[in-house]
Parts: sequence; structure tokens; C-alpha cells
Amino acid sequence: MIRFVLLSAWIGLLVVASHWMGQEAYRWFPVQASNAAPLVDDLFSLETAIGTFVFLGVLSVLLWVLLFNRAEKYDQEDGPPMEGNTRLEIVWTVIPLVIVMAIAVVSIRVNRELGVLGPMEHVHGGELIEAMDHGPGASAAGSGSLQVDVIARQWSWEFRYPGAQVSATELHLPLDVPVTFKLTSPDVLHGFYVPAFRLKQDVVPGRAIDFSLTPTRSGRYRLRDSQFSGAWFAANQADVVVESPEAFGSWLEAASHQPLQPGLSVAADEAERLARQPAGGIRWATVPPAPPPLVNVPGSNSLPHDA
Amino acid sequence: MTVLTPTSPSPSPPKSSPPTWLRYFSFCTDAKVIGIQYVVLSFVFFLIGGFLAMVMRGELLTPAADLVDRTVYNGLYTMHGTIMLFLFTFPVLNGFNNLLIPVMIGAPDMAFPRLNALAFWMFPVFGLVLIASFFVPGGPASAGWWSYPPISVQNPLGHLINGESLWILAVALSGISSILGALNFVTTILRMRAPGMGLFRMPIFCWTALAAQTIQLIGLPALTGGAVMLLLDLTVGTTFYDPTGGGDPVLYQHFFWFYSHPAVYVIILPVFGIFSELFPVYARKPLFGYPFVAIASFVIVGLGLIVWVHHMFPSGVSQWMRDLFMVTTMLIAVPTGVKVFAWLGTLWGGKLKLTTPMLFALGGLINFVFAGITGIMLATVPIDIHVNNTYFVVGHFHYVIYGAAVMGIFAAIYHWFPKFTGRMPYEGLGKLHCLLTFVGANLNFLPMHPLGLMGMPRRVSSYDPEFAFWNVLASLGAFLLGVSIIPFLLNMVSSVVRGEPAGANPWRAIGLEWLLPSPPPIENFEDHVPTVISAPYGYGTGKPLVEHQGEIELALALLEGRA
Amino acid sequence: MSTSSPLDPSAAPDPAAHGEHGGHPNFTLTGFVIFLLSESVIFLAFFSGYTALKLSATAWLPSGVEGLEWQTPLINSVVLVSSSGTIALAEWFKHRGSLWGFRAFWLLTMAMGAYFLLGQAQEWRSLSFGFTDGTFGGTFYLLTGFHGLHVATGILLMALMLLKSFLPGNYDGGEQGVVATSLFWHFVDVIWILLFLLLYVWR
Ligand code: HEA
Ligand code: HEA
Ligand code: CUA
Ligand SMILES: [Cu+2]
Repeated sequence: MIRFVLLSAWIGLLVVASHWMGQEAYRWFPVQASNAAPLVDDLFSLETAIGTFVFLGVLSVLLWVLLFNRAEKYDQEDGPPMEGNTRLEIVWTVIPLVIVMAIAVVSIRVNRELGVLGPMEHVHGGELIEAMDHGPGASAAGSGSLQVDVIARQWSWEFRYPGAQVSATELHLPLDVPVTFKLTSPDVLHGFYVPAFRLKQDVVPGRAIDFSLTPTRSGRYRLRDSQFSGAWFAANQADVVVESPEAFGSWLEAASHQPLQPGLSVAADEAERLARQPAGGIRWATVPPAPPPLVNVPGSNSLPHDA
Repeated sequence: MTVLTPTSPSPSPPKSSPPTWLRYFSFCTDAKVIGIQYVVLSFVFFLIGGFLAMVMRGELLTPAADLVDRTVYNGLYTMHGTIMLFLFTFPVLNGFNNLLIPVMIGAPDMAFPRLNALAFWMFPVFGLVLIASFFVPGGPASAGWWSYPPISVQNPLGHLINGESLWILAVALSGISSILGALNFVTTILRMRAPGMGLFRMPIFCWTALAAQTIQLIGLPALTGGAVMLLLDLTVGTTFYDPTGGGDPVLYQHFFWFYSHPAVYVIILPVFGIFSELFPVYARKPLFGYPFVAIASFVIVGLGLIVWVHHMFPSGVSQWMRDLFMVTTMLIAVPTGVKVFAWLGTLWGGKLKLTTPMLFALGGLINFVFAGITGIMLATVPIDIHVNNTYFVVGHFHYVIYGAAVMGIFAAIYHWFPKFTGRMPYEGLGKLHCLLTFVGANLNFLPMHPLGLMGMPRRVSSYDPEFAFWNVLASLGAFLLGVSIIPFLLNMVSSVVRGEPAGANPWRAIGLEWLLPSPPPIENFEDHVPTVISAPYGYGTGKPLVEHQGEIELALALLEGRA
Repeated sequence: MSTSSPLDPSAAPDPAAHGEHGGHPNFTLTGFVIFLLSESVIFLAFFSGYTALKLSATAWLPSGVEGLEWQTPLINSVVLVSSSGTIALAEWFKHRGSLWGFRAFWLLTMAMGAYFLLGQAQEWRSLSFGFTDGTFGGTFYLLTGFHGLHVATGILLMALMLLKSFLPGNYDGGEQGVVATSLFWHFVDVIWILLFLLLYVWR
């Protein structure tokens, strides 16, 4: 009886600790700046709680045996010859099965929801192959939303606003307006990744991938290349500015009057500097950076960002 | 008096004469020699791969790309990953297979000894090829250990011999060597077990080796096929993966991960085997639920072959595929859980002896459970979309590979060292090594998880300043891991030279290998293979493992008394 | 101290597991079958690559190429596939102890294999597209070439076995070499059937 009470108390304690950890998990993320972010963070918090419980459970057993089941120094006896217990085996097969399948069901539901809200990639093989997925999101994104063409290069990002004839190396987005990106790459794989949005999509050469989301928080965020793309991969970043639709409108308007100029490309700058510098240290071969795209707005990637 | 010895001194003296060090540099077909060749050479590459990691962690101490050039950093991590997997982990485990399988099942040697030696000698060859790529014009392969096209076929200098083509050559040779090895291990386990040793009397290590080698046989040819096509794209201008010629870069990713996901189970399964061997010995209890643990290995193989797309969730695969592969991936928690709980059941109520191997195994188990849980998180599509290609993934897999697999490998080395060298390793140095490894690994790899969640991509030589704090911690942990190798090397070298003589069975373990003298004679039991009469791990049951066990043990004792 | 061998027969090694002293037991066939199973995965990989590329291709055949001519390859295929029969016959003769019958049919099988290879070479020469003409050209030459390599290997193995059949005492240790070669040959034939369906029949 007393053992049962103690065990229950201990499990209760683990549950409390796991719940606390699950709540703590929200703080490990950058700010939530898209409609996908809360969904992802909730799911992660749930899994952190479950994972903490599993981990602490295993750890408890290990600590217990380490504390109470150590052999005395000269004890040469063997332990009790328990060879197994089929009922226990069934229990610990079924419980994890139920847990992970529950997680899977929740995740599939979140996937659906994400699809409805926006991020549903839509792949065009060259010009023709039609979409693999027609989630409701794909069609919802069609009307009243913004379209941006994203071109990922070795090593720069270019954003084109086809409606307004504007291009930039800094991505501006209106708050709370669904946006659909068309992701293309003329050279190698890249990855479109904005941590504050919790979303990521590889950019595959030879395909045009539609990808949509809705920003939900104003601020300045980092867009990072997430699929290794060569020498200047690490520097292939751009800023994403989410602003009110009015501010966005005036930015776009102003931008359309700006003359074309070389956009941001850390790679091109660094390559040029290295070319002027006398060779020192080891440097291995790389393809040269593509010239910086000509854009209306180069923007900046040295301003402080929120995430 | 006639005594039944398991070692019946062979008629020809050369057989029992101590092996000279020269044999370890020759085309020797003795599995035990080959095993040691594998283990020692793989640790040489471990030091090289670890050294590259030290330079990488040095670079990552500060946000700017300042210690090495960006191109060099890319080469470093590519070679680090490749060396650690293909030149350290697989070979060291093949070394264990060579050392342990024959003695555990009572076979005199491998089924195909010459093939075995051939497979081993390919190892220094492809090792050299890979290391040589540091010195070719343009530097080594720098497209990551995945070698995804198109980046891997860009070939900026246009030479035929370049880092990438040498990389493909090395990986292909390593694949052939592994297939030859796998043929040998599988045939040996299936056909050469001691009389009375049915499959369900076989030590779990052999079960896991069989399972892991089955994966090699199924998966490696697919990788080889994909690599051949990559090499053709790189050298003769085919367009299998080149979209401008109608090819598809994502096709390569399927080939690659169809093998390389199961490959992680090639690594961890034998480590599960090691845990399953060690816990009973040091808890003095039978392995809990032996048949379940045995079968679970093959369930893992089966599932492991159908989860590969979880490495490609953001690659542009369709939603139903993402969902499907998420489910299969998560199912792996079930058979793995069966094993983990079986170990806990084994430890429960036992008489634990905290020797160095036991401490390594316990530490490895803790790290493994942690890594398994982050694995389940990665399998969850929406979460993976966020953390894919970030340091969260790097954290996950170093926890499994260093935290669990390498610690398990160390556990195995300390456990079987006396058997194959005849000498005991030093406990003090061993425990110091264990402590440094456990602390270092956690300090090194835990900070990678917050980094990944914050959005730090992997494979970057420079990063935004907000990531600096955790990176400094990680680098300190890495340097601690570097230091942890010193007591290990000291221990190995000094105990080989002047360690205390071990005797046949220093851990009072149950198993055929412990019924042989240490080190075992060339053909193990020769013709006098004992007949197995009970299940393995009979701790506390009082049942002998083999017929005439008492006589064999007596003979061993006499042999030692004489020595 | 001298020791005797165990008196208890159960302690003696299982003869199936361990042959007489000095000669280790022979597991060549077990190993070879496992090898073939593993080898088939490479073909499987190439087949699935071909299928995936073909299914997703916007323009599969290079411009100017109509398709593959299939009559001559069909004749080639018939020859190759029936050589599975001749090699079985050769084995049957071998079993009956008729070494010359064995050699005759073995040689016939080799000839049929060689005929197939020549036909393949002829076909390659007559084709209007090359290795680097898109994914169709690439996969076509890769698949037929890789298979052709296996045919050549098979012929080489057969030649070896044929030569060895003249060595006195060659079959004392068993006939694994012959059996393995013949298995390999059947394997090569089965692969070809799949290949033929994939390359020539599937439009
Ligand atoms: C030995 C190596 C090893 C092992 C064993 C594993 C085990 C697992 N791995 Fe890991 N993994 C790697 C090595 C390994 N991995 C490597 C090297 C990479 C990256 C390669 C690269 O990108 O370079 C990687 C990447 C990787 C990814 C891709 C991430 C990405 O790139 O975005 C994913 C995604 O699903 C994943 C999942 C898993 C899962 C679910 C397991 C499971 O097998 C874990 C199962 C174990 C447990 C779950 C714990 C024990 C179980 C219990 C205690 C039962 C109760 C548990 C629950 C109810 C949850 N791994
Ligand atoms: C078995 C596999 C294995 C092992 C053991 C390790 C061990 C380590 N790895 Fe790992 N690592 C990988 C496999 C492995 N790694 C893989 C597959 C990748 C992915 C690559 C890719 O993205 O393509 C990777 C990537 C990777 C990265 C990410 C790079 C990036 O994405 O930019 C980092 C960063 O910290 C890292 C660090 C480390 C560290 C600090 C160790 C430490 O544990 C190492 C400890 C080292 C030692 C204990 C030895 C030290 C030796 C000396 C100091 C003496 C040297 C002396 C001489 C040479 C004579 N590794
Ligand atoms: Cu060697 Cu029997
Ligand atoms: Cu995986």
C-alpha cells in the first residue's frame, strides 16, 4: 500500500515536471510571426511534455537501481533469475504504440490545418506537371493574396513582386495577408527558411514550387538558406520585413520608382575582396558567386532583427 | 590423466605461438587478427575525424568565419561526417563482428576467411583515397556527407580527379567492402553455430549483427547504384540528376536515404547488442525477455527500410508521403522501447557492479533515450519542417552516435579487451574516460538543440550573433571530448603492455567466448566445440551453458595456474 | 600436459558445421545466394530510377528518336532466356556423370551468351542517341550496359568452370562452382526479362 502511494506520488511529480517542461518549451523558439507558428509550438510543447515524462521515467528506474541494487564489493552472488514476463512485454509494447500513434494523429491533423491555412507546397515540374497536392489552401491562396516570386541563387535571394514590377533583395510582406511564393532556383538546391515563421521549403532547380503562408506579426526577421548550397551558403541570408498593409503599400509604391541597382550579396562582396587580397591560408575551389541581382531595393541585412 | 580442454594444444607449435605484431600488418585470414586490425585502424580515423571536428568547433566559437576559409569549413564537415561514418563507425563495428561472432557461436573462423581479409584490406585503400582527396587540386568533397546534386557535381576546376570523384570512389569501395563483410557475417551466423545453439540460444549481439548486416545487404546496393549514377553525371555528362537534361535531383535523395537511414540502424543495432550482452553480466541477471529483444531487432530492420523520406520532408514530397513516413518512423519507437524496457527489467533488482564497461553502457543508454525522443520530434512533420537542416538535427544524431553508439563501443572495448589481449584495462583511467565522455558529450551536444529551435542552420561557417552563447558551450564540450580521448589512449597502450593478466573470465560472464582462454587460440575451440544446452545469460539460474562446462572450466583454471 | 580428444561424441563438432580437420566446411552456395539477392537490389535501384524518371519526364525520348526497335532484341532475348535451359541441361548431364555432355551444353550456353552480347553491341552501334542524350539515353545505356557486364561476367565464370572441368579431382570438394555459375546465369536471365519488359515493351 505504502509503495503504491509512493509510486503514485512519484508519477504525479513526474507529470508535474513534464507539464512544466512542456510550458517551458515555448521559450526556446523565436517569436511567432506566422499562422503556422502557434501550431508548431503547441505540438512541440506537447511532445516535450511526453518526452520529458518518458525520459524521466527511464531515468527514475536507472537511479533507483543505481541507488538500491548495487552489489556489495565482495558480493559474488547472482541476482534473481527473472527471465521475462509476457504480460509486461505486452504492456510496454502497447503503451508506446498508443503514445506515438496519438502523436501521429495529432500531427496529421496539424498538417491538414497548416495546409488549409497556407503552407502547402505545390510543385510544378518545369512547365507542366500539375500540383501533387490540392489542399483547400492552394485554392484559397488564389484570391486576395499576394504573389511573390523568389529566386534563390548561389548566393543571393531575389524577390519579385510581379504585380508591381518591383524586385528587391529584402522581402517585404504585408501583415495578415496570405502570400504565395513561387520558389525557383537556376543553379542548385536551396532552402527557403524563416525561423520566425517556422516554415521551410527546399527550392529545387527545374521546378517551380508554390508555397504560401500568412505573416501574423510585424517585425524584421531572418530568412536563411537551409539547404546546403556551396561556399557562401552560410552568408546566403536576407531580411524579411513584415509591416502593416499600408506601410507595405507605400514601400511597394516607392520601390517601383527606384532605379535598378545591384542587390545585396555578401558572397559577391567577399569574393571580390578575396580576389584582391593576396592568397593566404588554405582556400579550396568553388564556383564563383553569381553577380548580385539588379533590384529596385537592395535593403539591408545588417539591421537588428527580431528573430 | 586426461582432461577435456577446450584448447587442446594443437599439434603444430606455430599455431599456439604468440602472434607477432607483424601479423597485424599482413593479409592474415584469422578473424581475430582482422578484428583487431579493423578496430585499431578505425580509431586512427576516429582521431582524424575528431581532429576535424575540433577545428570546426574552433571556427564556431565566434560568429564570423574567421578561423578557416568558408570553402575549407565546408570540406571539413563533409570529411568529418564521411570519415566518422565510413572510416570509423562501420569498420569498428565490423571489427567487433570479426572478434565476437566466431567466439560467441563457437566457430573456428569466418565462413570465408580470405574474403574477410580482402574486405579488410579494402579499408586502408578507401581510407587512403578519401584522405588523399585533401591534397588534390580544389580540395576534398565539400557538398556534405549526403553529396546532394547538383552542388556535388559542380566541379569548379573541371578536373576528372577531384575531391568529389574520389569521395564517390571511396564510398563505393567502402560499400563493396561492407557487402563482402556482410556476406561473411550472415553466412557465418547462419551456418556455423555450435551444436545445440539454435537461433534462440544465440547471444543477442549475434542477433543484432545479423539484423544489421541484413540491412547492409539490402541497402548498400541501392546506394551504390545511386552513386554510380552520380559519378556518371559528374564525369561523363549524363543527366540523371540534372534538371536541365530532364533529370531529377530529388531522385538521388531517395537513393541516398533509402540506404543511409537504415545505415543508422546498422550502427545502433550492434550497440543494442552490446548493451544486451553487458547489462546481464554486470547486473548478474538474465536478459529480461530475451526472445522479444531478439525479434525486436528484425522489426527495427523491417521498419527501418520504410522510413527514409523523413530526411526529405521539406524536399517537395507530397503531403500523403509525409504523413505515411511520419507514421512508419514513429512506429520504430515501439520495438526500440521493447529493448529499452528489457534492459531496465534486466537491471531491476539485480546486483549491479559499476565497472567501466557498465558505466559506459549506462551512460550510453541514458543518452540514447534522450536522442530517441528528439528523433520522435524530428519525425513529426510540422516540427521537422522547422528544425530540419538546423542544429537540432545535428544535436539529435550526435546524441545517438556519440552519446549512445560511441559510448557503447567504448563499453564493448573495455568489456572484451581482457578477452582479446589477455590483460585487464585500468579501472581508474577507464572511469575517468567515462566521466569526461559523458560530461563532454552532453555539454557538446545539448546546446545544439536550443540552437536548432532558434533557427541556426547546420553546415554554416558563420552565424548570427544571437547564437554565440550556446555555440561557445558546445565548443567547450567538444574540447572536453577531445581531452577525454587522452585517458583512453593511455589506458589502451599501457594495459596492452603491462596490464594485469586477465584470465579466461574476469567478469564471471556466461557465454562461449568466456570458455576460451584469453586471448583465444587461433581456431578458438578447434574441433572441440562444446554443445550448447541452455539459453544464454543464465545468471542465477544455475544451469550450465554447455555440456561438460565444469570440465572445461577446470581445464581453463589449470591452464591459467600453469601460466 | 597432453590431452586427448573428447570421448563424448556429443562434444565432437557437428560434421555439418565443420568438415574434417584442415579443410574448412564450404558455405560457398549460401554466400553466393545471399550475394545474388543483394546484387538484385542494384538492379532494383536502377529499375526504380528508370521508372521514376520516365514517369516524371516531360519529353522522354530525345528529339528525333521514335522509340526502340524491338524485333532483333526480342530474338536476342529468346536466345538468352533459352540458354537458361541449356545450362540446366549441362548440369543434368553433369549429374548423370556425363562430363562431355556437360561440357558440350556448357559451351553452347556460353555461345548463346556471346551471341546475345554481340547482338547488344550491334544494337548499341545502330542507335541514334548516346549516353548523354537526356535521361532516356542515360538510363538505357546504364541498364543494358550494367546487365551486359553481368552477361560477360557469366561467360567468364563459365569459361573458368569449363577449364576447371579438365582438372583431375576437380569435383572432389563438391560442385559449388558449377552450381553457383548456373545460378548466376539464371539470375542474369531473369533480370533481362524484367529489363526487356521495362525498356522495350513499356512504351
Ligand atoms: C545511430 C544512429 C541513429 C539512430 C539510432 C536514430 C534513431 C532515430 N532517428 Fe535519427 N538520425 C541519425 C542517426 C540516428 N537516428 C542521423 C545520423 C541523422 C542525420 C543525418 C544527416 O542529416 O546528416 C538522423 C536524422 C533523423 C531525422 C531527419 C531529421 C531531418 O533531417 O530533418 C529524423 C526524422 O524523423 C530522425 C528520426 C529518428 C527516430 C524516430 C529514431 C528512432 O529510431 C528512435 C527510437 C528510440 C526511442 C523513441 C527511445 C526509446 C524508446 C522508448 C523509451 C519507448 C517509449 C518512447 C516513446 C513513447 C516516444 N533522425
Ligand atoms: C560517427 C559519427 C560521428 C562522430 C563520432 C562525431 C563526433 C563529433 N562531431 Fe560530428 N558529424 C557527423 C558524425 C559524427 N560526428 C556527421 C555524419 C555529420 C554531418 C556532416 C554533414 O553535415 O555532412 C557531423 C557534423 C558535425 C557538426 C556540424 C557541422 C555543420 O553542420 O556545420 C559538428 C559541429 O559541431 C560536429 C561536431 C562533432 C564533435 C565535436 C564530435 C566529437 O565527438 C569528436 C570528439 C573527437 C575526439 C574525441 C578525437 C579528438 C582528437 C584529437 C583532439 C587529437 C587529434 C590528433 C591527431 C589527428 C593526431 N559534427
Ligand atoms: Cu581448423 Cu578444424
Ligand atoms: Cu533517418
